[in-house]
Amino acid sequence: MTKPYDELKQEWEKDVEMTTQRFPERKEAFQTSSELPINRIYTPDQGNASYEEKIGFPGQYPYTRGIQPTMYRSRYWTMRQYAGFGSAEETNERFRYLLDQGQTGLSVAFDLPTQIGYDSDDPMADGEVGKVGVAIDSLHDMEQLFDQIPLDKVSTSMTINAPASILLAMYIAVGEKQGVSPAQLTGTIQNDILKEYIARGTYIYPPKPSMRLITDIFAYCQENLPKFNTISISGYHIREAGSTAVQEVAFTIANGMAYVDAAIEAGLEVDQFAPRLAFFFNAHNQFFEEAAKFRAARRMWASIMKDHYGAQNPKSWKLRFHTQTGGSTLTAQQPDNNIVRVTLQALAAVMGGTQSLHTNSRDEALALPTEESARIALRTQQIIANESGVADTIDPLGGSYYVEALTDQIEQEANAYIERIQQIGGAVQAVEEGFMQREIHAAAYEAQKRMESNEDIVVGLNEYQVEEEIHADLLRVDEALEKSQIEKTKHVRETRDQPAVDESLRKLREAAQLNQNVMPHIVEAVKVYATVGEIANVLRDEFGEYTGM
Amino acid sequence: MTMKPIRVLIAKPGLDGHDRGALIIAQALRDHGMEVIYTGLRQSAVQIARAAIQEDVDVVGLSSLSGAHKSLFPKVVEALENENAADIPVIGGGVIPAEDIPYLEEHGVKKIFTSGSPTDAIAVYIKQLFEGQAIESPKKIAHIGIAVESIDLSLPFYQHTLGLSLEAVEEVESEQVKVAFLKIGETMFELLEPLSESSPIQSFLTKKGPGVHHIALEVDDIHKRLEQYQSQGIKLIHETPKDGAHDSQIAFLHPKAANGVLFELSQPKE
Repeated sequence: MTKPYDELKQEWEKDVEMTTQRFPERKEAFQTSSELPINRIYTPDQGNASYEEKIGFPGQYPYTRGIQPTMYRSRYWTMRQYAGFGSAEETNERFRYLLDQGQTGLSVAFDLPTQIGYDSDDPMADGEVGKVGVAIDSLHDMEQLFDQIPLDKVSTSMTINAPASILLAMYIAVGEKQGVSPAQLTGTIQNDILKEYIARGTYIYPPKPSMRLITDIFAYCQENLPKFNTISISGYHIREAGSTAVQEVAFTIANGMAYVDAAIEAGLEVDQFAPRLAFFFNAHNQFFEEAAKFRAARRMWASIMKDHYGAQNPKSWKLRFHTQTGGSTLTAQQPDNNIVRVTLQALAAVMGGTQSLHTNSRDEALALPTEESARIALRTQQIIANESGVADTIDPLGGSYYVEALTDQIEQEANAYIERIQQIGGAVQAVEEGFMQREIHAAAYEAQKRMESNEDIVVGLNEYQVEEEIHADLLRVDEALEKSQIEKTKHVRETRDQPAVDESLRKLREAAQLNQNVMPHIVEAVKVYATVGEIANVLRDEFGEYTGM
Repeated sequence: MTMKPIRVLIAKPGLDGHDRGALIIAQALRDHGMEVIYTGLRQSAVQIARAAIQEDVDVVGLSSLSGAHKSLFPKVVEALENENAADIPVIGGGVIPAEDIPYLEEHGVKKIFTSGSPTDAIAVYIKQLFEGQAIESPKKIAHIGIAVESIDLSLPFYQHTLGLSLEAVEEVESEQVKVAFLKIGETMFELLEPLSESSPIQSFLTKKGPGVHHIALEVDDIHKRLEQYQSQGIKLIHETPKDGAHDSQIAFLHPKAANGVLFELSQPKE
């Protein structure tokens, strides 16, 4: 006969004591990357959460197990690889290659001048044109970027923040030229300015007018692009800047609350815009902590939207998110090892119930990915989906004593942070005071020290090194691109209807001054080939520029 | 040596917004007792040069992860020259492919630290730069060591086929080898013959057969150099100098530190 639980547990505890006296454990204390303590074992007597209240079924509040009733049994997550470099033509070629390879959504990387609202011929753009993404100056570039890609058939995610309204306007204009109405367009703009101040750096205007641009987009899309995700509230870059998993969730959700507050203040109805809010998280190496993080985030957002904001529509409660594997976890040393890291991270994202996923390429610690590396990264997702069987049941980690305990812990710690931010006066205020920046930096520095003291092992970096040859097979952006891009834009300026451009910019300025929604005016301006830089400069004049802390 | 703390300007040229690395380096250098000024994002080359002069820094550290380093870093060097501050050394880091490093060094960047460099190594490097202890180039190739089974049997090739003249033959007790020196230009060949089974040359011969064994570099600061290497964590076979042929002081670096090449440091008798 089986012995009772308590007796078994006591026996085990005795065994542990004997064993550890002779063979001490690897560490005195174990903890996650967020410094959450890890017990030796998790057992049924520790969880006191009610299943109905805290976990529930997929597609049911609080969505701990997923936002759809059938999850990946109906359809796999969207495999969406972020790509873009050099000219619009080159990127268009890579996009069509990726679609041919079975990718199911597009994700556009823009170069830094585009992301900060400078045309390629602006002195500030010197040396940066086409480097980290595609250079877009005018609608002409955008037309080339989506050449032969039917916008009613693909969904497109655009990593664009401060000038999000301009690039979205160009997307609308390209759609119309293809005969696709705005209402048919699907996709996402990142449009998350708060994390730019915190972690990523591509801000233009000060926080207040930036928040207004965002709510202008919310209002415009509600009317015209009902299927488009108006924002992707991003923890990804917060994590890349060195935050812990707990901070990633906490700061992202705090930022999300700031956008909801701003939209409500602008007179929008929560259930009108909240269903179009999307999230974007990171996936790092600590498998269980990452999977638990996604589950915790879903539960937290559901409760905040329902209880704090009183949203009635269940769509407003659902945290839908994209995941990208962790760029900062990749090593330049022994780059093929990165394929294994990416696999673990991607698996954690799938276990966490992600809606779409980007897997990084092995060579991204060195340069932008080559075509071969990008293919392996996509194949990694396809293998997880088609060969591993992990997508065949919903939330397979649910009910794991450890994962449920971690989910609770992350929720608790993140809620404590959110409370502190609310006490400061909300995320916008906390950003202006540098609160999140300081917390992230402290965590990043601690992690660096743990690595340099070999307390944390990074394979190939501080242990298991080998002598390596210089990696020569890297993607290089042609240095001549900058010049040809400048020529192209010059030609656009010479051949467009200049009075129409001037008039559209004048109207935009007026709308900015009168506090009217600027979005329709930006759409008009891009249609007559006003450039990203020209439109951003009008708003710079009116809103001022943010110069950092 | 000065007691004044070293002042460092950490700068982000261009539009790149990734400053995790820059912030970590800034803090690590502060922990090493330096005074660090961080410029913040999006600085032009001229802004960086002016900040360096205004803040009276000893060294400028640049960080870029956007791939624009080849155009941005040399511009900062140029801007410092234009402001008559070419004496302020510029170092850099970020996502920089190894093959770009020679270009950057040719354009005046003193040193590039790529992804994965420990912060300690950067701090040590800066300290050395500022304390005038920067590594000097070795004087010349003192000799090329060639392992042979027998000096007597090998000499005819060097003397008759190549036409070199024999300078000296001696035994180095500590290494259990007999050596023969043949002069060529301002350097020499050193033929090495094991004197016993325990000689390192014997194990080399057993493992790899006869052939090039090591390259000796003449230096005049062997003690200081070994200390510096040690503090930088460079793997050494000899941590302190030992007696070599011709009453020289010698020490070997570990081939792991030098991509598989065995280097000897050799300081001739005064």
